[in-house]
Amino acid sequence: MPEIERVLKLLAEHKINCVIVGGVAAGAHGSSQGTSDVDACYARDPENLTRLAESLRSVHATVRGAPKDIPFILEDETLRRGLNFTFETDIGDLDLLGEVRGVGGYAECLASSIQIVMFGCRFHVLSLEKLIEAKRTAGRQKDLLALPELEAILESERGKENS
Amino acid sequence: MDKVEYTEQERWLIEPRAGTAAAAARDFGIDLSLTVSNLRLTPEERVRQLDEFQASIKELRKAVIISKRHARDRASTETSR
Repeated sequence: MPEIERVLKLLAEHKINCVIVGGVAAGAHGSSQGTSDVDACYARDPENLTRLAESLRSVHATVRGAPKDIPFILEDETLRRGLNFTFETDIGDLDLLGEVRGVGGYAECLASSIQIVMFGCRFHVLSLEKLIEAKRTAGRQKDLLALPELEAILESERGKENS
Repeated sequence: MDKVEYTEQERWLIEPRAGTAAAAARDFGIDLSLTVSNLRLTPEERVRQLDEFQASIKELRKAVIISKRHARDRASTETSR
């Protein structure tokens, strides 16, 4: 099973409250640009952090790019003490964001999300408008490169609504 | 090869009017015919396609690494002769 599907299913199976953002969200909205990881803005309530830590342990998540000999204990407390994490796991890469620049935390992302059924599960995906805002605010080269196509898609959607 | 028929909405992206975001994207180098193809799919199909594309890229990368390793091994064998 390909990586994005497996990571999304992991989040759904563990009932993680999160909003899919980043490249997968862009892809779901129609962008033709690739991505190799799943980015999700997660809820930081204790129950969600416990489920999240459990799900990450089940796929042997480690911090991406960190030396393997540096111990990293994956517990809800570890997640509570941090905000944004980049993990590599047995099933693919997963970036967990406590906050999305230009949008806010989980509550703000959720309020600006749409629901999409993928792989038999329902996911909250950041709206195209907010995704554009987030990428513009992030301002990294890879985000800025994605903007022209996303803006064209948004414009065509608005054109469709107005016609 | 069959000629692709575009709807009026798709032509918004394929034949953009000057000053629009679609025109800016085209001028930026985005192939909007790919975008139109994506938009014809459901969101799930789009993500699945993205996933399959990434899996093929990964396979390709692996193949390149193996091929480079073989080339290196061959070169060192020939040098040692």
